[in-house]
Amino acid sequence: MEATFLLTLLITFLASFIGYELISKIPQTLHTPLMSGSNAISGITLIAAILIYPEVGESQLLKIIVLIAIAFATLNIVGGFSVTGRILEMFKKND
Amino acid sequence: MIEIILLVSAILFIFALKLFGRPSTAHRANTFAMLAMALAVFSAFNFDFSKYDSAFYITIVVSGLLGVLISKRVQMTQMPELVGLFNGFGGGASGAIAYVELSGNSLPISDVFVAIFSMVIGIFTFSGSLVAVMKLRGKLNNFNKKLADIFSVFLPAIILIPVVLEMDDLLIEFIILVSLIGGVIRVAVIGGADMPVVIAFLNSLSGIAAMSAGFIVNSIILIVAGALVGASGIILTLLMCTAMNRTLLDVLKGGFGGTAINNEYEKDPTSTSPEDVAIQLSYAESVVIVPGYGMAVAQAQAAVKELTNTLKDKNIEVKFAIHPVAGRMPGHMNVLLAEVDIDYEDMFTLEDINSEFSSTDVVMVLGANDVVNPLARTDEDSPIYGMPILDVDLAKQVIVIKRSMSPGYAGIANPLFINDNAKMLFTDAKEGLENIIKSFELV
Repeated sequence: MEATFLLTLLITFLASFIGYELISKIPQTLHTPLMSGSNAISGITLIAAILIYPEVGESQLLKIIVLIAIAFATLNIVGGFSVTGRILEMFKKND
Repeated sequence: MIEIILLVSAILFIFALKLFGRPSTAHRANTFAMLAMALAVFSAFNFDFSKYDSAFYITIVVSGLLGVLISKRVQMTQMPELVGLFNGFGGGASGAIAYVELSGNSLPISDVFVAIFSMVIGIFTFSGSLVAVMKLRGKLNNFNKKLADIFSVFLPAIILIPVVLEMDDLLIEFIILVSLIGGVIRVAVIGGADMPVVIAFLNSLSGIAAMSAGFIVNSIILIVAGALVGASGIILTLLMCTAMNRTLLDVLKGGFGGTAINNEYEKDPTSTSPEDVAIQLSYAESVVIVPGYGMAVAQAQAAVKELTNTLKDKNIEVKFAIHPVAGRMPGHMNVLLAEVDIDYEDMFTLEDINSEFSSTDVVMVLGANDVVNPLARTDEDSPIYGMPILDVDLAKQVIVIKRSMSPGYAGIANPLFINDNAKMLFTDAKEGLENIIKSFELV
């Protein structure tokens, strides 16, 4: 997906606005699962790592740094969702 | 095709965030978010999986398995540390990607700005989160505040470096070093009880770092998801700040609390015994329990559940009053109570329960201090003046389970403890509750 810079800025603004509006009424009980879940989502930076990995060229150092980024982001995503699932499981059994 | 997958992914992310807002739908939110993530990651390959070597796939599989392993084995009481740790990894990943983009390609100047921004925020989040984890484990004391203040002026300044200087390797390394140290000492000056703010703030930063990485690699889905996380993190951060009547800047400045300012009392508190508490409780019709960080430290949640059951069997109404910043992360107490199957319908927020205290027979304060200190309402010179508190002093009787008269985080005396309607049970929260439960069998 490519877009002009201004359009991208508009999308950024809209996404931030939606995020702000959706979360502003969240009950206290869900603060931890929300934080843990959104924390997992921030691992989406994995996409950037996947996109640049084939393009790092010959440098072994840069390649290793991208691999570290991939490891970190994957840990963040998988671990984050898994923990969120565990937390939500505790709330679910009350229903 | 890829565009459609990405569109679906973005919509799923937005719905996931919406579903996170209600207890009955929150578990579906996680599934939605996972699905959105899977689609987004899949689309990044652009149907060409052969471009990637075995080192790439091995890294993904091994770190994925490691993530599952860590998250399954960690105990619920260590949840704040774990969230902090994963958050640091996310920030570190964005920082590393920005570094590679900076040193590998010749980027246009606007991208250089974004890349430096992403790198600074990402690395700051990384080192800051690791320090927060150490703080949460109690392994780090407060750091010299002056040094941290001098250093923090640097951080915004280095983002502007490309205006005056041509980027080279040495300069980039210098920026990395400053961001690393910046994250360490900024978080190091902030006291443990302010961690709910810090954790939420770092969470927001990791989203912003991911968002700016999206600008560098031109990925809309990365920008959208990063912005969603950044915005929701900011909401939680501000909520936590409001709950303490302090500004974000004030919290980040650090140096608050940790030392006793004034802990003198006009008279001695009345102490009580587990037997007396059991008798007091058995004559009550309504009981409100106020959990604090002391409950988490003593791991008393199972005992809380047992006492709740005992009271409910006697037809005594039991409610929980939870202050927004009780514990070490947003919603910490709610999670600990949910872990032992306490119904979230019984957990009340400050706004919902404050009007009920005057008609409550017995309030039990479990290892909470500043959040029930009436000086926040009355003493204009107090450091916590204006902070919304749970008005437990208005209840008919108050029992405070606490190991000693030592002050809380704010370092001030709590006149609640010497109130006429209050009695102190000097013990650890878990031991105290267990003894009360034992005494019930004799009542």
